[in-house]
Amino acid sequence: MCFKNLPIEFDAQGRATLLQGVRDPYAYETRSLADQEDKIKDLLARNGHIKSVDFDPVTRVAGALAFHSVVDLKERRVLETNSMATLFRGYEVILKGRDPRDAAYISSRACGVCGGVHSSTSALTMEMAFPVVPPPFGIVVRNLMLALEFWYDNPLHLFLLAGPDYSQAIVQTTNPQIWEKAQVTAAPNAEIHGYGAIGDLMTDLNPLTGSLYLGGLQMTRVAREAYVLIGGKYPHPETVIPGGMSTTVTLTTFNEVFARLRQLFDYAKRSVAIWDDLCDFFYDVDPEYKKVGARPANMIDVGIWDDPFAYDASYENCNEWGERRWATPGAIVDGEVVTTKLQAINIGVEEFIEHSYYEPWGEPRFATDPAGNPISPYHMWNKETRPQPVGQNWREKYSWSTAPRWDRKAMEGECTARLWNTAAGGVMPHRKFLEPTGTSLKMLLPRSTMPEMEIEWKIPDVWNAFERNRGRAYHIAYTTVVAFENWLLGLDLLKQGHDRVHTPFEPPRNGSQIGVGFWGAGRGYLTHHATIDNGALSNYQILTPSTWNASPRDPWGNPGPYEEAVLNTPILEEFDGPDSYKGIDILRTIRSFDPCMPCTTHIHVDGSDHVVTREVNTCACGIDG
Amino acid sequence: MRVMIAGVGHPNLRDLSIGPALVPTLRDMTWPDEVDVDDWSFGPIAVVQRIEDRPGHYERIVLLSAVERGLEPGTVTCSRWGGALPDAEEIQARIGEAVMGIISIDNLLIVGEHFRAWPSDVRVVEVEPDACEFGMDFSPRIAASLDDIVAAVRRAALDEDHG
Repeated sequence: MCFKNLPIEFDAQGRATLLQGVRDPYAYETRSLADQEDKIKDLLARNGHIKSVDFDPVTRVAGALAFHSVVDLKERRVLETNSMATLFRGYEVILKGRDPRDAAYISSRACGVCGGVHSSTSALTMEMAFPVVPPPFGIVVRNLMLALEFWYDNPLHLFLLAGPDYSQAIVQTTNPQIWEKAQVTAAPNAEIHGYGAIGDLMTDLNPLTGSLYLGGLQMTRVAREAYVLIGGKYPHPETVIPGGMSTTVTLTTFNEVFARLRQLFDYAKRSVAIWDDLCDFFYDVDPEYKKVGARPANMIDVGIWDDPFAYDASYENCNEWGERRWATPGAIVDGEVVTTKLQAINIGVEEFIEHSYYEPWGEPRFATDPAGNPISPYHMWNKETRPQPVGQNWREKYSWSTAPRWDRKAMEGECTARLWNTAAGGVMPHRKFLEPTGTSLKMLLPRSTMPEMEIEWKIPDVWNAFERNRGRAYHIAYTTVVAFENWLLGLDLLKQGHDRVHTPFEPPRNGSQIGVGFWGAGRGYLTHHATIDNGALSNYQILTPSTWNASPRDPWGNPGPYEEAVLNTPILEEFDGPDSYKGIDILRTIRSFDPCMPCTTHIHVDGSDHVVTREVNTCACGIDG
Repeated sequence: MRVMIAGVGHPNLRDLSIGPALVPTLRDMTWPDEVDVDDWSFGPIAVVQRIEDRPGHYERIVLLSAVERGLEPGTVTCSRWGGALPDAEEIQARIGEAVMGIISIDNLLIVGEHFRAWPSDVRVVEVEPDACEFGMDFSPRIAASLDDIVAAVRRAALDEDHG
């Protein structure tokens, strides 16, 4: 029984039904935020040391994110937070009425960093709806493509976006005492990453000049080169389609990909060593850092990298093929994996809009999923996107992000959830380079310039900003070994003459079809839900990791993950007064989620001929509650 | 003189896409052997990395792009890039945008300058757009100016009116 809050129970065969005798099972009462807002206003008015601190925009994140906080600089704690997605994407609206075959190309544009993951998720959605199953080699190539895309995302986060927060340039300014210690503290993993002292490592994290920063930029090239060998373009591939791939992939392609793949073997070893040393150093210097960005380990992921001999694109069998993925699907509540079944994960998701710029939608179309499990009126298959731009108001609406919840809990869409689910789930069958132990995930990184190395990611006893970053470094290693295993698998298939990458299909022209793509972005969870009527998309819903993470408060007043993590963050920065306060602990927390506020590009403003091609600022000051 | 003419901008945004949209036209023209024409409708970091593959190869780069500067729509300006950089934080922000999907001439110039990718002679032909929504066609005003725009690029590339 994985649900504690939703009115769903399971029988002995694992079939879900609504609890008997509950009159309106999904009904809820909304809690007003007015009392809390009044309290904060009063504190602000009466105390000079309590300040509004606004980050607008939050820099070094992808896209348009603003963050409002109220900070008690004397007590060094955060009293109030509001996360604001400041742009409407509207891909759900754009896709309505389109030919379902176009969805992969259009939805890809939802993100300028990782468009390919949307292409693949869309292709999976259509494969379920049409239906069509790619040949094994097509699935292997798709797995490889996903890994290549993560090589762009994860180094970008670790060394260009979040990394500078731990650089000499920042630490020396915000925490000079820590910088002093860093210079004389030996780095335990010096033999792997080559930095004798933590201070040396921090210096190379300096933006613009540090070799780790510049190396991160260089890695984006390696990833792009490898990706376009198969995808044709990056970040919006031309070759990812329902039923597999639309390109010829040969031994030569595989060899050219390998020339890039082998660079990752050592890069992964170094990245893990660097972030292990950084995280452990901060914990040693001040254990309070374990509270920075802390929140309960509540995470959700739908798994990625399909077993080419198990995936059949059906919803009916998704529990089985989902558990055969290289990254196990799962919902994690308070650190425990409560289910690894895709259907249970899917039916537990709802999206709420009480504090988002959307109107409620009408009567739900579906009472159950295709397997007969109950779904909520607020589930994505029932949701419609109805934008309702109104003024910002902390008590009412303040974000373009919805508030997704699983079992009515705020979950993180987080790539470390893949390691966690796989480590603790115990069902992942591919053990060539991976060994889940129940409490850890061991990964065997092959020899390159550096020798073969086994690394072990351990389920942390706290879940915070540092563990998110550490998890991303291990995620590079995870991605690399999965890519290598799929590369080997692909070679075997090629040797056997199984070089077909696509299964032909006829899109439906009549009737109604339904599909969901369970996949993932570099940051974590990604799903597309679609319905097709008489050959055209009648509804399309994209749920990204940053929608989970940037969520505003839910109907019950519970904060979203960014909001909650910042609320729990102690102010450890050294400052003389409000004027010298930088907010680094808050920024470290927000950036640890690798925010991607898809997408800043090509936003059409209704009623005008204007297109916004970069992020905008939305002044959060002066908002009247 | 080895010259690169590059169209810069996002595709499919009507006048805003004048840079990449005119690349086929520019390629079809007759140029001296040492003039290359390329579509740079991709991120500035990728552009820099491409230039770094052949360090010092191009002695002049001509960038064609549409930018909203508040001028009369259809205005074509040609200028030499002076190489002035903003402060480090701003450069960081521009690099951040560059790797996250933003394509803009201003970002490209700053990122290229920061990484010392540019030759000493970089010329920018800018067009003030009239229509900036989705679409593949140009506004009537820009469509009527295409010959002038192409001529401006040609002059910039071949030094017909630059000292």
